[in-house]
Amino acid sequence: MGPSRFSLKRQLLLWLLLPQLVLWLAGAVFSYRLAGRYANEAVDATLLQATRSLARQVKPMGNGLLIDFPRAAQDVLEADPSDKLLYTVSSPPGKFILGNRNLPSPPAAPASPPLGQAQFYDGEIDAGEARTASPVRVAALYLQFGENPKAQQTMLVQVARSSANRELLARRLLIDTMLPLSILIVLMSMIVWAGVGAGLAPIARLRGLVEGRRPNDLRPIELDAAPQELRSLAQAINDLLEAVSHNVQGQRRFISDAAHQLRTPLAGLKSQSELALAEAPPGPLTMRLARVHESATRSAHLVNQLLALARTEPESLTRQTPVRFDLGRLAREVTAELVPRALQQNADLGYDGPDCDPECASASQLEESAGDHREPGGRADRRDADGADHPVEVTGIPLLLREALVNLVDNALRYAGRGARVTVQVRGGPDRAELIVTDNGPGIPPELREQVFERFFRATHEGNGCGLGLAIVKEIVERHGGRIALSGAQPRGLRVTLDLPLATA
Amino acid sequence: MNLLLAEDDAILADALCEQMRASGFTVEHAPNGAVAQYLLAKQQFDVVVLDLGLPMVGGIEVLKQLRLTDASLPVLILTALDSLEDRVAGLNAGADDYLTKPFDFPELEARLRALLRRSRALKASTELGQLSMQRETRSAQVRGEMLELSPREFDLLDLLLTHQGRVITKEQINQAWSGDRNGGAATPAGTADGGAATNAVEVYIHRLRRKLEGAQVAIRTVRGLGYLLELERA
Repeated sequence: MGPSRFSLKRQLLLWLLLPQLVLWLAGAVFSYRLAGRYANEAVDATLLQATRSLARQVKPMGNGLLIDFPRAAQDVLEADPSDKLLYTVSSPPGKFILGNRNLPSPPAAPASPPLGQAQFYDGEIDAGEARTASPVRVAALYLQFGENPKAQQTMLVQVARSSANRELLARRLLIDTMLPLSILIVLMSMIVWAGVGAGLAPIARLRGLVEGRRPNDLRPIELDAAPQELRSLAQAINDLLEAVSHNVQGQRRFISDAAHQLRTPLAGLKSQSELALAEAPPGPLTMRLARVHESATRSAHLVNQLLALARTEPESLTRQTPVRFDLGRLAREVTAELVPRALQQNADLGYDGPDCDPECASASQLEESAGDHREPGGRADRRDADGADHPVEVTGIPLLLREALVNLVDNALRYAGRGARVTVQVRGGPDRAELIVTDNGPGIPPELREQVFERFFRATHEGNGCGLGLAIVKEIVERHGGRIALSGAQPRGLRVTLDLPLATA
Repeated sequence: MNLLLAEDDAILADALCEQMRASGFTVEHAPNGAVAQYLLAKQQFDVVVLDLGLPMVGGIEVLKQLRLTDASLPVLILTALDSLEDRVAGLNAGADDYLTKPFDFPELEARLRALLRRSRALKASTELGQLSMQRETRSAQVRGEMLELSPREFDLLDLLLTHQGRVITKEQINQAWSGDRNGGAATPAGTADGGAATNAVEVYIHRLRRKLEGAQVAIRTVRGLGYLLELERA
């Protein structure tokens, strides 16, 4: 058995079911033989009776024998044509008197044959003309006769019966014993099968725990109800996972430290180039400085994004426990924080969600018509009372989702250009929450919508992005059990939808 | 405005000092925590920019020591660390704001000015464009001309000016108003509209916009979020 086909279950089943099979076979052989013996005993008893009866009919007449064999007795003897009784009366040496001459002679006729003691043996008989030999059971009885006690003669009475019936009897006995035994064996096999399955279930569970794991999920395996042997295996795996995790953490810490160490010199470079750019007189040098500054800015952005990406890794989350929070509130806060930046670019950044104030969303028009004498107090009071009471609650790490939203809005502002209109929306469904960022920029062609999630892939070389934004967002969303989808917006633009599970009650 | 810059990276510190001076700050530079503590004890500053990774005495330690003697001096933390723990540690130690390196100088400047505004909000007057406001007298002027403002209008203007350049939500406005209502019993100011207990923010925004005409400031409506006061764009 090759290593690939070696299965613990198979082994266990083999070693548990094989003894049962042996037991079953032994039982079959044993009961067949037992049945044969009892059948023989029964047959022998009738044969003996028949032999004695026949012997009684043989009467000595002087030196001869008188056989009083009435027709009726003959009929009884030969009643069953399939189970024929054959008989022979002879007086040794080989003097045939009556019956069938073909009966097999007793095994090794002893010198002084046991008188009055019946001998039983198996033999074969040529059933005459063309038939093949058929097995028979024979009873042989030596008797003495003669009126003169000194000159008594011996006679041999043999009665034979076909073994067919005996076989039939034995077989029926066998079947009657083996049928319940077989059912028992099948039942036991089923129990063993189920037992082995149940016993091995923790292995399957352990496999499931290891198999279904994301490669970066290095948390210890938690096997609740497992036998001692598996527990130690799980412990061994956990030890390994911990060692690997420790290793990975060390590397990540190094990367993170390296990125952090880069920040200060980059900040210096940026500030210095900014300053130089402001001070330098216009000329070719200014252009170069502008390039330097742009490059510094890009590097700074790249370092920040790399760190953001590192933050989304689960190892960095060990100390950040997910909490339940209102996604709408987070989206409003983040959007509000980004508004000044949007205004700098002359972009129109807005929010639309369950708590969005309809009066506010279309405030411009309302204010146009709102006179000094208008008293819409009732409406506003209503909004105060219940307007902000539709939280869209999700469970997660707010800092990461904030990072995701900042990236999406940043992308929209970055690529939709000046005068862009960017809208953040939050929608709560029955069991999902949606965070949507829509812009009216150039959008992303459908054929690139998968690739943009790859790290360092850039759909356009406009702007000074680094190609990590959507990868970061995707990591974060998937870490929260959500999905990200890109679609086109009407009449133009891009719509990014984050689909997150709602917090369970 | 006196500013203390505690930053150990010489190149960054040099550029920042230069930029801050260009923005009108008077800058003292401390290359390590010990110097920063010495300067803080010796001089009066309006705002502190503090790097967390300072040699000799760490930034957090400097901040903690400072808070023992001065609870109100605005401190902005400038750091290369930005994990949640670092942020929480900085804010817990008493920082008012947190900026991660590398940054754009305009961003730093805007945050510093916001800090200064907040710290002075209670004592000084605030200006933007042709608009000026005095909190003590609860009065405001456009081009030197007194504005007639109801208490609610003044609160709204105060809120917008204090948070200029940032979004004010209706929630915040209502909060400011409810605070005013609590104190309103003592002040006889609620004359123009004090009786009308209306919360209609947009009505007040509309009125304020009219009154601020010519002040070179604009109250922007931010879709779905609220309002923002900024200088009128040319």
